[in-house]
Amino acid sequence: MSTIDPAVREFLLAFADDEHLMGQRHTEWIGVAPFLEEDMAFASIGQDELGHAALLYEVVSDDIDELALHRLPQDYRSCWLVEEPCTDWADALIRHWLYDTAEVLRWESLVSSSLSDLGDIARRALREEAFHIRHANALLDALLGSGEAQARLLTSLDRLFPLAAGLFEAPAGESAALEGGVSASPMQSLLSPWRQAVDDRFGERDWTKVDPPDQQQRRMRSEHFELMYASMREVILLDPTAVW
Amino acid sequence: MRIYEVFLKRAGKEEFRHAGSLEAATAELAVVLARENYARRGEGEEMWLVDRTDIVAVEAEFIAPNMDKPHRHNDGALVAARRKKKRAGS
Repeated sequence: MSTIDPAVREFLLAFADDEHLMGQRHTEWIGVAPFLEEDMAFASIGQDELGHAALLYEVVSDDIDELALHRLPQDYRSCWLVEEPCTDWADALIRHWLYDTAEVLRWESLVSSSLSDLGDIARRALREEAFHIRHANALLDALLGSGEAQARLLTSLDRLFPLAAGLFEAPAGESAALEGGVSASPMQSLLSPWRQAVDDRFGERDWTKVDPPDQQQRRMRSEHFELMYASMREVILLDPTAVW
Repeated sequence: MRIYEVFLKRAGKEEFRHAGSLEAATAELAVVLARENYARRGEGEEMWLVDRTDIVAVEAEFIAPNMDKPHRHNDGALVAARRKKKRAGS
């Protein structure tokens, strides 16, 4: 594990951190989701994402707590979409769909990875993602038909689009990951099938007007990271030596 | 919103059993919510969802038997007691 190429490690951390923070953000809805059944389902989906993060962290390190909770902010490689607070359910649902649609494409590019553990993890994750997408689509199918819900969802879509497109910015270490066969596709090449899926779901859009932020190969944190970071670490900092 | 009754069946010969119920706006939503609420820990390998309004429910009064028909409640206790007595006597 410690023999992994440092550049490949960077590349994998980008995905792991996305999964970790997405899971964290989803689970912020525990107890306050719009109805009880959705509360359970959304928390469970968040837990799946945290599980994916743990599996990815394990590929690059034996100490996943260290990676997940004790790095400095500048060492995280998360994209801004997952750092964004979504305290409105329309935002949370739109992000759920946008993120998971992209996530499927990312896992597919890892299925034949030269790291054999990673291929197995990808196949496992894809089974869960099939459910996540179906869940998001079932909610959207029910909500996009009604006036107020549709208007709120489309507003969220416009707000979150640039951040979502930023998910496809090539993370640090990507060229090493491609050369070593760790991943089969550059992130930028996944943008086109993702856009197609977005257009199929929400109607065609003028993509030239979507301006993703410059995340400097995932080395820059957004303005929202700091609060989230503090909240994630709140419990473990009570006793960093505690054994779970 | 509609209420759906959730039934689960484990692998093997066991029959479908009632697992609970949930509220959902559409059948498809009921499917995805039932999976996470009732089967995320592998509680069953098959699932039925039944819209509660499709259930033919029967009034309790109609179902209740007259309880003065002991011949319909043969649990074998009388026969067992008689045989025991006979064995003790022989």
